[in-house]
Amino acid sequence: MAHVILQLPTPVCSILGLTARSHEVEGATVDEALEDAYGRLPGLRVHLCDESGALRQHVSCFLNETGTRWLTEGEQHLADGDRITILQAVSGGT
Amino acid sequence: MLLPSHLESATPAVYGSRMRVAVLIGTEKGAFVATSDAARRQWQVEGPLFKGWKVTASARSPSGRYLVATASFVYGPALHVGDDLSGLAQVEDGPAYPEGGDLKLSQIWTINAGASRHYAGVDQAGLFFSDDDGQSWQPVPGLNDHPTRKGWLPGAGGLCAHAVLVDPANAERIWCGISAVGVFRSDDGGATWVPKNEGVDQVVPDPNFPDIGRCVHGLAPDSEHADTIFRQDHSGMYRTYDGGDHWERNEAGLSSGFGFPIAMDPLTSALYAVPIESGEYRMPVGGAFRPHRSTNGGDSWEPLGNGLPPPPYEAGVLRGAMAVDGLDPGGVYLGTAAGDLFVSADGGDSWQGLPCTLPRILSVEVYVEE
Repeated sequence: MAHVILQLPTPVCSILGLTARSHEVEGATVDEALEDAYGRLPGLRVHLCDESGALRQHVSCFLNETGTRWLTEGEQHLADGDRITILQAVSGGT
Repeated sequence: MLLPSHLESATPAVYGSRMRVAVLIGTEKGAFVATSDAARRQWQVEGPLFKGWKVTASARSPSGRYLVATASFVYGPALHVGDDLSGLAQVEDGPAYPEGGDLKLSQIWTINAGASRHYAGVDQAGLFFSDDDGQSWQPVPGLNDHPTRKGWLPGAGGLCAHAVLVDPANAERIWCGISAVGVFRSDDGGATWVPKNEGVDQVVPDPNFPDIGRCVHGLAPDSEHADTIFRQDHSGMYRTYDGGDHWERNEAGLSSGFGFPIAMDPLTSALYAVPIESGEYRMPVGGAFRPHRSTNGGDSWEPLGNGLPPPPYEAGVLRGAMAVDGLDPGGVYLGTAAGDLFVSADGGDSWQGLPCTLPRILSVEVYVEE
């Protein structure tokens, strides 16, 4: 079980009433850490996940400097001090 | 208190009056609150709340609790509740389709807040209810899993349940409008639903489902008779006197039968609509932004323009962006896709624009506080 930092986008923080962008979470993998975050931060899951249980189409997740969509399951194991960052995908629009 | 304290201090004149009228203007990029006294001539506009989020609907329950719906194409929908707009908190157990299912909830389109039960209509089309003043929500399977569902097709605005009416004298009798599907009615508290579209032109023909394929855009209940309902439809303006069993056109005087919002002043029974040119163009007819009023139950309509911008004004009013306040004289509020809010404090005889340009306006609701 690793202790890592989860950094959330400001629109999500503001709508949940969170004053900080960074939150300490625990887990052996990225998925476990996100599950831990959903438990610690009520209301977060609906903003990151759709009804399939996966991340929403325009939500990106990075483990340190690498997008998780380019990491195998085995490469998503966590070590103490790792940083998970949630970002809005570059999607264009107004 | 309605507004956050840092906003309240900026508007001492407004807050010193006995009656306050607050208009919650939901836009593509947040909500703005316009406040005035009973005269509704001088306005203060503050905001945004939910900066960056679409604010798609709002309501206030008889208990005084506010319910505000937000959505984002990135971060999804949510519902927020609170006793004042400065203290809204996201509901954890909000309207949601089950994980792993085929349906996805992109936004809440309408909230009907009743004394004991609230309803929320959503996209993808479905209905949810709450019996605890909005804190938790359950689906209405009788509608969400309706036998005609496989024939439901989205319109230009999506597949959305955007209108919910409840008979004030009989909570078992409910109407739900879904575009581009039609109107359904339940006479048993939502357990079962029957399409109610006879007399309305079918715009999505499907021989398998002849009772749907109607594209209702807006519903307005009559202020006195629950079974009298006015319907702005894709195919024209209609009314029913029998709870939707039969519909008839009532378009005399309208510049176009096409439009989206419709509302009735509960005191005067005046009807308001905003005709625009056809489903192909969806712009004010001839570039003239002219809401219309009927003072005879839809028998005839007249254009209103005193104080509204001269042509060309090429923005319309989305289906949730018109409201009435029920005061005497009646206030009418039009939020446009160009970000203007036009207010009439005399039932539509004259109009003024608020001195601001907001993002595209999606929803407008009026809250009167004594």
